[in-house]
Formats: sequence, structure tokens, C-alpha cells
Amino acid sequence: MSGSLLFQSLVLGVLLGGLYALLAAGLTLYFGVMRVVMIAHSAFLILAAYLAWWFNERTGLDPLLSLVVTVPLFFLVGVGMQRLLITRLRPATLTMMSVLLTFAIALFIEGMIGFVWSGTQRRVQLPYSGSNIEFFGANIAVVKLVAFVLAAASLGALYVLLKKSRFGQALRATIQHREAAQLVGIRTDRVAALGFGLGLATAAVGGTALALDATIYPSLHWHWVGPLMAIIVVGGLGSIPGTAIAAMVLGIGQSLLQVELGTTWAQTLFYVALFATLMLRPQGFFGGRLAQRF
Amino acid sequence: MPNASDTERPPPSPTRTAAPGPRDVKGTRQALTVARAVKLVAFVAGAVLILSFPNMAPNPYILSAGVVVASYACTATAWNFMGGFTGYISLGHAAFFGLGAYATGLLIRDLSWPPFVAWLGAGAVVVLITIPVGIAALRVRGASFVIVSIAFVLILLLVSQAWKDFTGGSNGLVVPRPFPDLLRPEHHRVFFYLFVALLAVMLLVWWVIDRSRFGAGLKAVREDEDKAQALGVPTRDYKLVAYLVSALFTGLSGGMYALWFGDLDPIFQFSILLGAYMVLMALLGGVRHLYGPLLGALIVGGALEYFKLEYGDTQLHLVATAVLLGVVVLFTPNGIIPAATDLVKRFGPQDSSIREMTAAELLERNENEARRAADE
Amino acid sequence: MSDPDGLATEGLTKSFGGVRAVDGATVTFHQGRINALIGPNGSGKTTFFNCVTGMIRPDSGTVTYRGRDLTGRPPHRIARAGIGRSFQLCRVFPRMTVLENMLVAVRRTRLRELLVGARQAEDIAKARGLLVRVGIDHLENVEAGNLSYGQQKLLELAGVLMGDPETIMLDEPAGGVNPALIGRIGTLIRELNAEGRTFLVVEHNMDLVMSLSHHVVVFDRGRPIAEGPPAVVREDPRVLEAYLGV
Repeated sequence: MSGSLLFQSLVLGVLLGGLYALLAAGLTLYFGVMRVVMIAHSAFLILAAYLAWWFNERTGLDPLLSLVVTVPLFFLVGVGMQRLLITRLRPATLTMMSVLLTFAIALFIEGMIGFVWSGTQRRVQLPYSGSNIEFFGANIAVVKLVAFVLAAASLGALYVLLKKSRFGQALRATIQHREAAQLVGIRTDRVAALGFGLGLATAAVGGTALALDATIYPSLHWHWVGPLMAIIVVGGLGSIPGTAIAAMVLGIGQSLLQVELGTTWAQTLFYVALFATLMLRPQGFFGGRLAQRF
Repeated sequence: MPNASDTERPPPSPTRTAAPGPRDVKGTRQALTVARAVKLVAFVAGAVLILSFPNMAPNPYILSAGVVVASYACTATAWNFMGGFTGYISLGHAAFFGLGAYATGLLIRDLSWPPFVAWLGAGAVVVLITIPVGIAALRVRGASFVIVSIAFVLILLLVSQAWKDFTGGSNGLVVPRPFPDLLRPEHHRVFFYLFVALLAVMLLVWWVIDRSRFGAGLKAVREDEDKAQALGVPTRDYKLVAYLVSALFTGLSGGMYALWFGDLDPIFQFSILLGAYMVLMALLGGVRHLYGPLLGALIVGGALEYFKLEYGDTQLHLVATAVLLGVVVLFTPNGIIPAATDLVKRFGPQDSSIREMTAAELLERNENEARRAADE
Repeated sequence: MSDPDGLATEGLTKSFGGVRAVDGATVTFHQGRINALIGPNGSGKTTFFNCVTGMIRPDSGTVTYRGRDLTGRPPHRIARAGIGRSFQLCRVFPRMTVLENMLVAVRRTRLRELLVGARQAEDIAKARGLLVRVGIDHLENVEAGNLSYGQQKLLELAGVLMGDPETIMLDEPAGGVNPALIGRIGTLIRELNAEGRTFLVVEHNMDLVMSLSHHVVVFDRGRPIAEGPPAVVREDPRVLEAYLGV
């Protein structure tokens, strides 16, 4: 592998890792506030991508503008999902049953996308779709860069929100110790609902970013479920910095392997990492000691 | 020396003789006999209905749909060895189905093994592959286990698509028919009975485990794993054995499917959806019951095949599956068999189920019954 | 004082994210006696308990029992070495009947014995005997989840006894139960001890601890700070300091 190619893959890996990190942050939020493993996260991701494509198709405007609608919409859907569905499950079996429930939601979304927009592959055509930027000798597609900036900005906003705001404080308290948070007067159910909404909002952002650059089809979300799940296990369930690091490492790894092995085999990296984590350190590599019990 | 405490049997505790439990009392025994007779009649009727299905099927399409439903019943029951006994829900059991199917096909194609020898060999292959996977997956509980199970089927899907020389990739793998002389309807008929025979073996094994000490340990894992371990149940080994049995039977179902269908495609063999069907069928029927998954398979599989015949393949079967799964998870997570039993109990001759009886009432009843038994 | 036959720990340490819940605890419990483990909230008693019973793997240190090293063994191995335990907030299998709860604790390792029916007459007889002993034999066909909390505690104890442990570790046996039942549990512990079973009891109820135990170990900040007969420990200034902060 030549040096410039290596560098190019590295840069692409960082761009991809940014998107993974944003999406994994969403998954970590759900798990943190509710101990829910949200299988439907990537289905919502693809739904957002479809909405962006459809918005572009209908209005001819830039798909990024669809964020104005999809982010609040997904936020509300997330709050509603937590309020109306997740809280109905019995606490004793919540984690297991929530996996099934969100799995059902994923199937539902996949089916509805196929029903409404058919199974045809779709792709957004943009004036800047084909353009590249030269970056220290690496050729970077503008759309990838836009996607990364979007993901990084959202992740930054999420970070600031969690670290600085009162709500963020309540949310982190809820993640760390639900009962203790209740004792100091935090309304954990409300916090959990908002956390769910935030998590789903990351899917809206991620999906729009994805739409810029990818060919989408209804069952695409399964290609995201595996890697994302691997990332949150490797990162240690419940740890946002941990998952962000895991996302970057694995994103870069995938990008580098892709050159040598092709896309399909490169994806197996995630599963290898997943199984290696379970054998060596079931609690995850970067903090988060919840994994084993859930 | 894990069994040191087993060998030295302690002296029996110096206690009074145990009071007779309600099981020993005559009235309950009669009720039990009636219940047993009803069960036997239902069993015979069910068996006759299933066995006579190929003769009643009006055309080969219906017959082949019956074979598909029978294969669903096999996979759902196989899934339940893990999901039902231990409560570990695997969404990736299609992995074992696909492995069994591909191993059967490849053993026939590349090693020219006779079809049913290859089928058994495929079972062994599935078990061998499952051992390391199970050890890794069972290091974690709950949600992480589900994640691993999904990951396993996705990884196999990737590999089987990418490794074209070996699996034929998306061009498919053609499995030679085991009975080349049979006409198509006859072929379906034979395989219907083969699937039913496989199902019968599974049900028998399930029944044996269900009433065994091993089964009691597995159910304890389902209820409270830490507690079971503290009582001395080697939970990891138990779970692994249940996982292997479950994988073996799922693999055998897949191998049987390969012999019947004759054409394998990674998309359909290593399909998330197939794994979801297994979970849905087992949950819908009731995971704690011997016939739960079978019943679920009859309902869901029947519906799936009906809609496929009527409307062809649409995206709506995904939506319907999703809605049904959601409804089951939200409203009857224990399945329809317990729900139905509760209903029968409520309207039946017996006043209330034991579940709703307070300890005091039970004590009173036991005493009354004991007195009555003593009077007779 | 050291008893080679008993349960002992040496430098047992376990941290959670920088907090040393158990910090180099070296303790020897007296075999054949009722040992109590007391200490203020957060002093690491339960973590210590969980390290000994294998629920938590200690970071360092050893657990020995009857001369065998049990450090880091999985819980079922420790149970099979003859150490039974109860849980802090009593745990039973809620959707199994009382009798089924008891039968889970039957230990067999041979395949034939494992596949034989779970309701063997000898096991049932033994289970019923123990249920009579703790006084809940009339409830054997009730689902354990429907028992009162006190009854669940008794069932848990009976279940532990099913495995014939020589040493029984109880985590707050009197927690959350009414005074009459506390008396009954105390009597049971004394009787079982008289039959030769060793007890290790974590307990907050000082009246029970002082009346019941032969040997008291006081924990503070993850390690023992005092031990001895109850009358002595009660007067120990270090204990008063740990409890009252004076």
C-alpha cells in the first residue's frame, strides 16, 4: 500500500469514524437512561436518509435542509416511543423485551420504507456530488467531508449539552445511578424520555449525512446494526467517550482494511473485535462496567 | 473436586414426617386424571391431524406450504431449547439454520457423502462451530447476548456472500435431491413426514429436559442466574449445553430444508428475518410450554404462507411480522397458551388458579382435603 | 486464633472505579461458630461477602476454606465446596413453586442423574423435611413470588440448606422482617449451629448480633478494625468511633 493511499484511507476512516461515533452516542444514550439496546436505531438512520432523499426529490433543495424537519420530528418520536412503548414493559425483563420490541420497530420501518418507496436503490444527486477536495495529497469527496462536519458538530453539541446544561447533568446522573438521581429530586422518567429523544435525533442527523454519500435501500440498516452494536460493546455499554474511541478506532480500521480486502471482508473487522472483546474483556475496553450484567 | 458434597450423603434431617401435600390427596388426583385424559385426547387428535395433512392437502402448493410450516415448527421448537429454558433470547438462530443447510449441501457436493449422512455430519459441524461461539456469547448476559447473536448471523451472511468459490455466493448452491426419482408432490409428502419426525424427536427431548434436574437448573437460570449459581448450579455449562442442543436441532432443521428445497442463497439462509420468525413463533405460543413454539409456528407460519400464496412477496409481510411481534412483546410476553389456560381456569369448574390463592386459603384447603381424605 | 479448617481471607482487595470497597481485608472466621460481620453502611461488608462467594472477582488477595484456595472461583464451585449463601434482598425464583425452588438446589453431576426427573422421591422428602423445619411446608405448591417477604426469607434459607453446606453465609437475615420472625430466624440459626454448621452473618440488627454470635468482626472502610466476642467488641473504642464518628 503506497503512502498516499494509506493516508487517504486514514482520512476516510476518520470521516467514517465520526459518523459511527455520533450514531453510537445515540445508542449509548438509550442504554444509559433505560438499559435498552435499541436495534431500531439504524432503521431510523435509514428512514432519515430516505426522508432526506425524498425531500430533495420533491423540492430540489439541498437534503441537508431536511434536518430542520427530521431532527425535531425524530426527537418527538423518540420521546413518544419511550413514553408509550418502552415504559409498558415489565422492569424485570425490560432489557430482553426491549431488544425484541425495538427489533420489531426496525422490521416495521424497513417494511414501510419498502412499501412506500419500493425496494429500488436510491441516491441523492447533488451539484457537488462528484467534487473532491485535495487534502495533503489525499482526495476527499466533499460530501464525505460535509457528512463528517455535520456529525462532528452534532457530537460536539451533544457533548456540550451533557456537560454544561442542567438537563445534561440530570441525564448523566440518571445514567450513573437511577435511584440516587431520583433521591435528589431528578424526574428520571422525564429525563429518560428526553434522552431517548436525543438519541433518536442523532439518527436523524446521521441519516441525513449518510444520504449525501450513499446508495440507500430498505434493508441497508442491517449493515449498520452489526458495526454499531460491535462498537458499543467494544466501547463498554453505557460509556459515551468509550464508544467514541471505539468508533474511531474501528472506523479507521475498516477503512484501512477495505483497501486490501474489499468492503465485505473489511466489515468482518467489527465482528472480530466484538468476539475478541467478549473473550478478553467482556466489560468493554473503554470504561463502562455495565455490560456483563445486561 | 466439585462433587465432594455429592458423594457424602448427609444423614436425613431429624424432622417430623412431612405433611401430605395436596398432590397426594384423592380429589386432586381425580382432577389430574381428567386433565391427563383431556391432554391425551388432544395429543392424539393433534397428531392425527398433522399426520393426515398431506392426504388432505388439495394441491402441491398447499402441500409445500405445509412443509414450510413444518420446518418453521422445527426451528421454533429448536430455538426454544435456549430461549424457553434459559430465557436467553437469540435473534440470530438463523445462523445455525444456514450453517446446517450449507454444511449439508457442501458435504454432498464436495465430499459426495450420501444425503442423510451429510445431514447428520452437518449437525456435527454446527455443534463444533457453536462451541467457541457459545463460550464467547455466554460470557455476557441479557442484551449483550442478543447483540452477539445478531452479530453472528450477520457475520455469516457476509462471509457466505463474499466467499463465492465455496458457497456459490448469491448465485446459490444447488443441493442434489436425495430422492431423484420422486415426483414433486411425492417429494413434498416425504419431506413433510421427515420434518414431522424431526419435530417429534425434538419434542421428546424437550419433554425429557423439561422434567429433569438439568431442566430445573436451566429454568433457575431463567428466573435468577446469580441465585442459581449460588445454589451450586454450574450455570455456564448448563447454558452452553442448552445452546448446543438448540443449535444442533436448528442446524438439522436447516439441513433438512436444504435437502428438500435444493437451492440455497445466503440472503435466505442467513436471514435475520428467519431468526425473528423463530422468536415470534415461540413467544406467541409460549416459551415455557412444550407445544408453544409448534402452536406459534402453525399460526404465524400458516399466516405467512397464506399471504404469500394470496398476495405474493410484498414488503407487508415484514410489517405484519413486526406488528405481531410488537403486540406479543407488549401484551402477551408469556404467550397464548398460558393466556388461554388462565381463561379456561377462570370459566372452568375449578374456582381459581393456584396463583391467585393466598397462602392461608391454600392451607385451609389442604387441611380440609386432608380431613376429607381421612374420613373416607 | 487462626483456624486452618475455617474460612479465611488474606489481603482481599476490590476497587470500583478508584474506590476501594474492600481494602486488604485479612479475616479468619471461627469454624463451628456463629460469626457476625458488622460495620457502618458502605464499609464494604457486602462487597467482601460477594468476593468470598465468588459473585465478584477480587482484584487481589486470597480466599481459603478448609485449606483450599477458592479465590476467584465461580459461585457454583464455592457453593459446592460447602459454603451456602443468602442474598441481601432475599432472592427466590418467583415463578417457581416453593418445592421447585428447593429442588433446584439438588446437586448432581452425572449425566444420567441430571436427565432423570426432577421430582425424585428422595429429594422431595428431603425438601419437605427442610420446609417443615423452617415452617412453610404448607406452602409447597405456591409460587414463591406470592409468598410474603418473611416466608421468602425462610424459603431462601431452606433452599440453602438443601445443599447441606457446612458453612452458611447470610446477608442481613433479619433485614425487613417482623420481630416475631427475627426471633424464629435466630432460633433456627442457633439450632443449625448446634448441629455443627458454621455461620457467617452480615447484620445490622445489633440486638440479634449480640445475642446470637460467638465472634464479631467489625468492618470499616473495607477492612476489619476489631474483632472478638460480642461483649468485648461492643466496648471497643474503635468500633464506637466507626459507628458514631466520635
